[in-house]
Amino acid sequence: MAKSSESLSQRIFRTLLRALPFDFRVNYQGEMEGVFREQQREMEERGGFLEALKLWKETIVGIFTTAPREHWQILTSDCGYALRMMRKNFWFSAIAILTLTLGIGANAAIFSVVRAVLLRPLPYPNPQELIFIRQQEKKIGVDDLGLSVKEIEDYRAQNRTLAGLAEYHSMSFTLFGHGDPDRVRTGVVSANYFDLFGIQPLIGRTLLPDDEKLGAPPVLLLSYEYWKNNFGADLNIVGKTFEMNDKVHTVVGVLPPVPQYPDENDVYMATSACPFRTNKMHLEDRNMRMMEVFGRLKPGVTVAQSGADFSAIAAGLKAAYPKSYPENVGFTSVTNPLQEELTRSARPTLLLLLAAAAFVLLIACANVANLTLARMARRERELAVRSALGAGRGRLLRQLLTESFLMALAGGALGLLLAYGSLQLMTDFVGRLTPRAREIHIDSGVLLFALLIALGTSIIFGTLAALFSRADLTASLKEGSTGAGSGRRQGRVRNALIVCQIAFSFMLLIGAGLTVRSLYKMQQVHAGIEPQRVLALRATLNWSKYADAEKTRLVVSKLLERVQAEPGVVSAAISSRYPFEPEAITGGPESVSLSFLIEGRTLEPGEAPPVTTFASVSPDYFKTLGIPLRAGRLLAETDKDKAPEVVVINETAQRKFWPHEDPLRKRVSGDGGEHWATIVGVVGDVREFGLDKAPAPEAYVSQAQSPQPSALLVRTAAEPRGMQRALTGAIHDVDSQTAVTHVLTLEQARYESMASPRVTASLLGIFAGLALVIASAGIGGIMALMVSQRVREIGIRIALGARPETILQMVIGRGLFLAGLGIAIGIVGAIGMTSLVKSMLFEVPPTDAFTFAAVGLTLLAAAVFASYLPARRAAAIDPNEALRAD
Amino acid sequence: MFQILVALADGEKHGYAILKDVARRTADRVRLSAGTLYGNLSRLEGAGLIAESTRRPELVLDDERRRYYLLTEFGRAVAVAEAERMEDALVQARAKKLFRKAKLA
Repeated sequence: MAKSSESLSQRIFRTLLRALPFDFRVNYQGEMEGVFREQQREMEERGGFLEALKLWKETIVGIFTTAPREHWQILTSDCGYALRMMRKNFWFSAIAILTLTLGIGANAAIFSVVRAVLLRPLPYPNPQELIFIRQQEKKIGVDDLGLSVKEIEDYRAQNRTLAGLAEYHSMSFTLFGHGDPDRVRTGVVSANYFDLFGIQPLIGRTLLPDDEKLGAPPVLLLSYEYWKNNFGADLNIVGKTFEMNDKVHTVVGVLPPVPQYPDENDVYMATSACPFRTNKMHLEDRNMRMMEVFGRLKPGVTVAQSGADFSAIAAGLKAAYPKSYPENVGFTSVTNPLQEELTRSARPTLLLLLAAAAFVLLIACANVANLTLARMARRERELAVRSALGAGRGRLLRQLLTESFLMALAGGALGLLLAYGSLQLMTDFVGRLTPRAREIHIDSGVLLFALLIALGTSIIFGTLAALFSRADLTASLKEGSTGAGSGRRQGRVRNALIVCQIAFSFMLLIGAGLTVRSLYKMQQVHAGIEPQRVLALRATLNWSKYADAEKTRLVVSKLLERVQAEPGVVSAAISSRYPFEPEAITGGPESVSLSFLIEGRTLEPGEAPPVTTFASVSPDYFKTLGIPLRAGRLLAETDKDKAPEVVVINETAQRKFWPHEDPLRKRVSGDGGEHWATIVGVVGDVREFGLDKAPAPEAYVSQAQSPQPSALLVRTAAEPRGMQRALTGAIHDVDSQTAVTHVLTLEQARYESMASPRVTASLLGIFAGLALVIASAGIGGIMALMVSQRVREIGIRIALGARPETILQMVIGRGLFLAGLGIAIGIVGAIGMTSLVKSMLFEVPPTDAFTFAAVGLTLLAAAVFASYLPARRAAAIDPNEALRAD
Repeated sequence: MFQILVALADGEKHGYAILKDVARRTADRVRLSAGTLYGNLSRLEGAGLIAESTRRPELVLDDERRRYYLLTEFGRAVAVAEAERMEDALVQARAKKLFRKAKLA
């Protein structure tokens, strides 16, 4: 009995000893077991449970106080050794750290974006309860119809799933009473808007239910940034008054510095203060849709349930008001979690960039693993000697991992700096895709991510290196330092790593190449206009002054007259929108589409009605933009208010709706048959919504007959930018209260419309470039190592008569072989990835032969370039030296 | 660690003997466990204060697993310096009448 309990105690003791470092155990385990045995024997002689307890307590405490100290000592010793080795192999360490910096930095940068945009919940209480409600006409591709006042009232009254429903729309108004008239982005919201989001004011109050009653005294809330930048964070701002839209507005509060969704606004007002929102048309006409609606779910209600609820209400509205909801357009209402809604357009691009960054990191890892293996090959003798002197494999592995980790840590720290430096670029880029971009910053999550990557990569390449180093270290002692057959297994692993690097680089380069080619194709597209020397100005009238159509017509007419009289103006036009307008690019044709009727045509049951985009333009619009006439006539001065209604369509509309007939003199109606307009002309197509989008059917109506002035377009004789001041002055001559904003040339607008694909291509290009550099360095390193390991063999070949060209061919050929293999695998991978990039390409197939060929040749050229120097050195080997060397 | 140096002052010992010597001299006030003992032996060996002895006792008394440690000259010098420092401290404490009752010397 005593014997078995003794052996159990010994077993437990031996298990406890595993807490101590391996080397320590190698040195002292035997003695410690002997001492413990003696102590046990003594304890048993003395007898008693308490004695046994005392012994175990002292033993356990002793081991667990000694263990951390011993581990720490080894760690500091390893770190010191690692730093000395890194200094000794300076270039290797520098290249490895640089490679890791690029890989980790790229990932940290992209992760900071993904974290802010996709992962982090919205900064409001219970953000998962917030939803966005959209009305759609699914069958005709209208994704977001907007809502009218009447519809909002109906949804508010009839829904059973929301704790609150708030409306929002954004306008540009002019604020008077604080220095120069200031154009302010104004959020027009229902009284419960801030309560819905759970936003408390910084000072003062938010809105009260009484504020949104019609006729209530207008109040204003300032955003934090506007208050800070324009009023010096004046704490006495509450109570101050300003004039907007011919009414006195009182400031009642300032918002805290929270991100604002869906737009950044300078000020907020209640719905009752917006001249648009409160005019009769918007209040009574169910079809005047311009609002967005947010909701907060009741506790326990799911998004799906609210979706069903709203869908049912929409069906009810359709049945109750058939004139407002045409048949067969697929009218319905949908709900989406707000977070998803805000990140929809950014998601695919960000995930693509994350994948690209991950590729770069894998390539960097493979490179450092290869470099480490190469370095270990050179240190084989050192490692063998240390092993012979008693260092176990575990100890060597630990030391290698410490070296790897230190390099990865250095790479990670520098990578974070790189990520921090690229923050502004990322924020600008992502800002085009989602309003969440302003939340991007390097925080503890990103730091942790970088640390984990550093740890992960060091473990991967350190372990790879250790595992595949020679199993039998003593054998390497017997061989020469560069034995002819040394490390065959190791060589295969290194070659495999290179091939993987090339394959990943190929895939990345294909991604970049395709997007660059796509961008190039986009730039070549003819937009359908002559954008040179055309200036576009957003002229926002003081809406309350021009509340009816007649007044608006008058001021438009005066504006045009005045501007056209300005020296240097070739022609001028007023329109409701213009090509490459930012809203048009982001909203797409659906944002300005309506369904219409064609006289004499009835729809089949279930057939969707024809849909067109429309614009209201003055007669000189086509001349100013250089849009050619194809048939009939353009809009003219005679198409006045009282004259018969006319419309001009584009070629796409003709092809789509009158493919086999002449559309001239046909009649169409945009209001269900109440008013009919006659088609008087056909003009050329314009790619208004983006160079990569096919032209949509377009209908142009006359500003005189449908006044909707928004933009002033001016073709100038000289450089248009130089005329900006004069034109603004001309506008202010007619009405000093008109805010003139968003002044840019059409060429600029065209350029800006391609910003998103341009930046995506640039980023992918940067990643691909990094990959190419890293992979090339990898090939060069491997070739150099191969040459240094085969010095004897090459020396013998030269001694036996091999010409330098043969040696060159041998080395470069090897490099090409590895690259070729990598390219072959890369082709398969790239073809497999086509679905990922398809949606981002324009007129370029995902398996574009030109791009594949160009990338393949680039990589082969890189392989030749990287192999050349080692090949030259091999060819220059002195056979005598080679044979003498050991 | 001082106690280990003192234990080796009168000749080489193996680990268990050091442990017993320290316990006896300090009347069990200082009790070393296997972990503490060998942690200290490792540090003392690393610092050059002790070394493994090359001499082995008679075969019949020998246990191959046991290693014998001896005090190096440097270790002896360090132990002496430490003992003198402690003696100084004791003299000063006595001069200042720190001990209320007379203590047996």
